[in-house]
Amino acid sequence: MDFAWLIQSLLNGLSIGSVYAVFALGYTLVFSILGIINFAHGAVFTLGAYLTYALCVGRFGINGLLSDVSLPVTLPFFAALLVGALLSGLAGMAVERLAFKPLRKRGADPLLALVSSLGVALIVVNLIQYLVGAEIYSFPSDIFGDLPMAVIFSVGGKPVAVRTIQIILFGASLVMLVGLGWFIGRTRGGKALRATAENADTASLLGISVNRFILGTFFISGLLGGLSGTLIGVSFGIAGPYFGVSYGLKGLAVIVLGGLGSIPGAVAGGLVIGLGEAFLPPDLSSYKEAVAFVLLFAILLLRPQGLLGDRLEQKV
Amino acid sequence: MTPPAPVCGPLPPDWPPIARRLADAAGFRRISLDRTVTIAQETFFTIDVRAKSPPTFLPGGSMKRLVTALALVLCAAHPALADKVATPIPIGIAVGQTSNVALFGQEQVNGAKIAEERINAAGGVGGTPIALVFQDTAGDEAGAVNAFQNLLNRDKVVAIIGPTLSQQAFAANPIADRAKTPVVGPSNTAKGIPEIGEYVGRISAPMTQVAPYSVKQAMKINPAIKRVAVLYAQNDAFSSSETVTFQEAVKNLGLETVTVQKFQTTDNDFTTQVTAVLGANADLVIISGLAADSGNLVKQLRQLGYKGLIVGGNGLNSPNMFPVCGALCADILVAQAYSPATVDKNPVNKDFVAAFEAAYKKGPAQFSAQAYTAVQVVAEALAKIEKETGKKIAEFELADLREALNKSLRTGSYMTPVGEISIQPSGEVEQKAFYVSKIVMNPDGKTGSFVLVSE
Repeated sequence: MDFAWLIQSLLNGLSIGSVYAVFALGYTLVFSILGIINFAHGAVFTLGAYLTYALCVGRFGINGLLSDVSLPVTLPFFAALLVGALLSGLAGMAVERLAFKPLRKRGADPLLALVSSLGVALIVVNLIQYLVGAEIYSFPSDIFGDLPMAVIFSVGGKPVAVRTIQIILFGASLVMLVGLGWFIGRTRGGKALRATAENADTASLLGISVNRFILGTFFISGLLGGLSGTLIGVSFGIAGPYFGVSYGLKGLAVIVLGGLGSIPGAVAGGLVIGLGEAFLPPDLSSYKEAVAFVLLFAILLLRPQGLLGDRLEQKV
Repeated sequence: MTPPAPVCGPLPPDWPPIARRLADAAGFRRISLDRTVTIAQETFFTIDVRAKSPPTFLPGGSMKRLVTALALVLCAAHPALADKVATPIPIGIAVGQTSNVALFGQEQVNGAKIAEERINAAGGVGGTPIALVFQDTAGDEAGAVNAFQNLLNRDKVVAIIGPTLSQQAFAANPIADRAKTPVVGPSNTAKGIPEIGEYVGRISAPMTQVAPYSVKQAMKINPAIKRVAVLYAQNDAFSSSETVTFQEAVKNLGLETVTVQKFQTTDNDFTTQVTAVLGANADLVIISGLAADSGNLVKQLRQLGYKGLIVGGNGLNSPNMFPVCGALCADILVAQAYSPATVDKNPVNKDFVAAFEAAYKKGPAQFSAQAYTAVQVVAEALAKIEKETGKKIAEFELADLREALNKSLRTGSYMTPVGEISIQPSGEVEQKAFYVSKIVMNPDGKTGSFVLVSE
């Protein structure tokens, strides 16, 4: 184990871990307000990647029902990223209206909401496949204009290489995390959100429109999901309509690891899993997918409430 | 359908040893035909089993039922012996035209049809036309077994070309072998195919023969190559066996393997593997995987600054790579058993490519060329039989012809679209030349082609 490898792994881990964190925040926000897991989050992640791709390239792809459809305008990458994320936010709101609200109004068991969100996820994924096919879509390689493809420097005479996209991943995630932190911690809307999360009934007695805030939460959650989907898509290509599934599972591991409903916990969990994957010895790197869950079991044995979760105490 | 001749007396010598052992254990004296029934175009015999003494190791009734069932199965697999060869001469094509192998199977069908058309236009076999009988195997073993059964017993083919996948061949070929009918594998490249049986051969060169050529070519391009990084998809059976071939080739060529990295075909983040390759200071990278994952791996290798040569296995021998790694796919070397670019040196290939392009408005892929080759080889072997015996094919008993064809296939050599080949007595193909191509991408960075760099 040498110093260069250490630095390399640290950079790799921070880059991918920060995206996990952004993605998992979407899960956590919804959980903290409604106390349920939104299984459609992985589908919104996929949707965001496809939407940004279409906005960048001006076409929906080479296969499926929309293969002949051209968009009248193409956007530069960062504008497309923003628009794609906003559209994903709207998709998040649609999920709330379709899968959660009708059940909430009927006071249905939270388990039903879980199943209905899973149903929405499957419908969305299959719809994507129907519309754009199952091919892998890669963002054009000149998407960042004249930026070099990687930054390579040497540590102790050994090369350390970071792809430009990894730096962009980290930067964009950091901006999102800071922005969200500021919104939740420093604004009236954020306070209302926290109040709703704390106790929805009390919040509505205080004049907070709970339904509106739930919808707003789903918008932010969808936005974070779509944004992380795009970032992963740009980094590794969009690996077909199902590519959000494994990230969806990983996101679950992240929020349980960090502590259910804890926002700093989601960030910590994302970084821990990202770093855990990066520091896996190269010989074992093909077992990367299992790392998240091995870490999850290990942490849960030591801290059942997760890294930063609150200990649940029941008064009797 | 005429009932087959009765099978009477002791068990025929070609029945599987297990059946003979069971029969001996049960104390068979003789079995005789009772009556025949035809179910779903398959002929079954019910048989009268006469044991020397009541078998003791199972209750009487169940033993009789077991033996009867066993005999039924064996009789169904036992070929009818008194058929003449039909005209036009039926040759079975059992490839996967549906399911996940349809892409390959369809290419095979296209190539085989061109062969049928060309051969019949040139007078068939000594004036008798051939007729290809297509049976879809789909992508699984059961489909291949069904297709083989139909071709052997219902369509009375003289030989079977197929199946598409090696794993299907392991399941279906023994059936043809038991029926003493030659099988010519058009695309089975796994180890152990010719060893399935005496009647099993192939014209598709195994990976062990093809793979080393691309490494040799890389050494020609850059004689300074010393340190090799090998990467492979460990959850894909073909890639796992192909990488062993590559690693042996690296050793035999006096190069050093500095790192072996595994990945999964479902992976898309290869940062760890690429980092390891860069850290190992490799000057050649060899990848065995599928198109999507390997394309992504190549992209990340190049983006992180790897500038050396990349050799790809069979999975990278596909235009499906192009959309994944785009302009960064350029210069990947792959070894191929077929190259459409050899038209100047190979008149047979020139003729095939022209006919194929006229029919399908696109160039032929390796699967098409190999299917054409298989049909051509069977037709030429049939012509050899006529020449040597002075007897028309249609005058032969089916069983005799199948036997003679199996021998004839294994004699002499054939000039085909893939170059000069012969089939050894073991059934293994011997191919004179292999081709190494490199990927050349077009200026749009999205489309490209495989361009021949050497033979």
